[in-house]
Amino acid sequence: MKREELEKLAELARIELHSEEEERLQRDMENILNYFKELQELPTEDVLPVAGGTSFSNVFREDVPGEGMDGEAARTAFPETEDGFLKVPPVFSAEGGSSSGGE
Amino acid sequence: MNLKELTIASLHENLVKKTFSAREVTRDFLDTVRAEDEKIGAYLSVLEDSALEQADCVDSMIKEGKEIGPLAGVPLAIKDNMLIKGTRTTAASKILERYEASYDAEVIKKLKKENAIFLGKTNLDEFAMGASTENSGFHMTKNPHDLKRVAGGSSGGSAAAVAAHMALAALGSDTGGSVRQPSAFCGVVGMKPTYGAVSRSGLIAMASSLDQIGPITKTVEDAEILFSAIRGNDTYDATSAEDKAIHEFRELPSEAVKKLKIGVPKEFFVDGMDSRVTHAVEEAIARLKTLGFTFKEISLPHSKYALAVYYIIMPAEVSSNLARFEGMRYPGITEVRREVNNLRDLYFKTRGEGFGAEPRRRVLLGTYVLSAGYYDAYYAKAQKVRRLIRNDFEKAFRSVDVILAPVTPTPAFAIGEKASNPLEMYLSDIFTVQANLAGLPGISIPVKKYTVGSGELPVGFQLVGKSFHERDLFGIGKLYQREE
Repeated sequence: MKREELEKLAELARIELHSEEEERLQRDMENILNYFKELQELPTEDVLPVAGGTSFSNVFREDVPGEGMDGEAARTAFPETEDGFLKVPPVFSAEGGSSSGGE
Repeated sequence: MNLKELTIASLHENLVKKTFSAREVTRDFLDTVRAEDEKIGAYLSVLEDSALEQADCVDSMIKEGKEIGPLAGVPLAIKDNMLIKGTRTTAASKILERYEASYDAEVIKKLKKENAIFLGKTNLDEFAMGASTENSGFHMTKNPHDLKRVAGGSSGGSAAAVAAHMALAALGSDTGGSVRQPSAFCGVVGMKPTYGAVSRSGLIAMASSLDQIGPITKTVEDAEILFSAIRGNDTYDATSAEDKAIHEFRELPSEAVKKLKIGVPKEFFVDGMDSRVTHAVEEAIARLKTLGFTFKEISLPHSKYALAVYYIIMPAEVSSNLARFEGMRYPGITEVRREVNNLRDLYFKTRGEGFGAEPRRRVLLGTYVLSAGYYDAYYAKAQKVRRLIRNDFEKAFRSVDVILAPVTPTPAFAIGEKASNPLEMYLSDIFTVQANLAGLPGISIPVKKYTVGSGELPVGFQLVGKSFHERDLFGIGKLYQREE
């Protein structure tokens, strides 16, 4: 796997790569992808794919009010809050000149 | 009391007879954890105060003459990817180091109703990704039978805790063998239920079409007791089977058990297999034959493709499930949060620093197999071959009731032996992933210990059953252990 390819994947997956791991990752990915090649020898044109772990479809339930999640507990699980609101960093950077805090 | 001799069943008898109290037995287990766990590393957190409180509650029930259920007062260890409200739950990842669960997993709710006791949260490979518990973000778990060897994984902490008598039983989760493989390495019983039999609500998801929570215990009888308590429909898990779909769970009479026909897949017995694994499986078959079981050779022609299919589908689901860890919705990493000034950097830095090597590798791999241009060749292809693997089992189950196979290709390997080669580590799952891909129940049962190097290590065998036929596995397993 080429370096650019790996970097593109990391960009898509929103993961900052450490420069010292890139070479090893390229090699590991290459080995693993090679192992997958054996699947290509199997003819599968007429095979229905399995999506998900069950054969159930359209699982419905009555729309009845249940016990909600404890709001305070949910807020504690969040890194930053202000006056009971959840706080996130600006969507655009300060240099971009847009947006303040967040809700 | 001797913790080594204790089982869920015998603890219950002793509590009812008031031989000892729930507090005494809980105290004993906590003391063992304190004395032993420094060298084994099974636990990530110990819940001493709440465990003793739960024990006192059971003792007062007994004192008041109330009837107690089979799990009341039973000290359990819980894999740290299951939520217990108000306690730290990390999935052994730095990214969740400061996360405190805001609700109870469905299995925990059920066990709380049974008055079971939670001794603590056990170690795992980060986000349940691994076969050795070397990939924990905090520390590794060693095999209680030989501290130079791995406990297996990813539920290595739970299996080691039970094997070292630091818990009477435990819960693990099994995506590709993560309950059965560490149980085999540690010489205990590990069971993966049928997909949909146990709710996954409150289990930190790894690969949602494969994950199942299962019991790790000393005996098959104990596994049955724990499974009976956690199974059942849950509206918070859309893949949870409706109760009518779940085979009515009751014990099979032993005459009915002995009529079960056992299949042995020829593809699972290849040249060059580890001799101890071969011996263990042969010994298990011989013992079952003397008990009156009949065997038949079967074929699972697509089983050799199972590992490749698994290592495409699982990372694809991982890349999607782990998207939620981006530094916003969970406590995140304080230092990262301080240094970034926009959302994009928060994502990249949190995920870059919070995920260890294996989750990073799997997220990238999953992103690759799902990306435009590669989707058909990898992901779509794997979904189709998954169908062929399922069909193999359906066909086999027309002529047999249960399938017997090895659990692992070797006994527990040495620490560090496979750490530098991910593909080699992946091969540890070669006999276990099939059951997950086909959604079938599987159980790993110890045979005996074999000489390995300068010490002795346990080796087990595996039974795989039809969907929602857990009772077949328990039935055979209990007879097998009764005759020992």
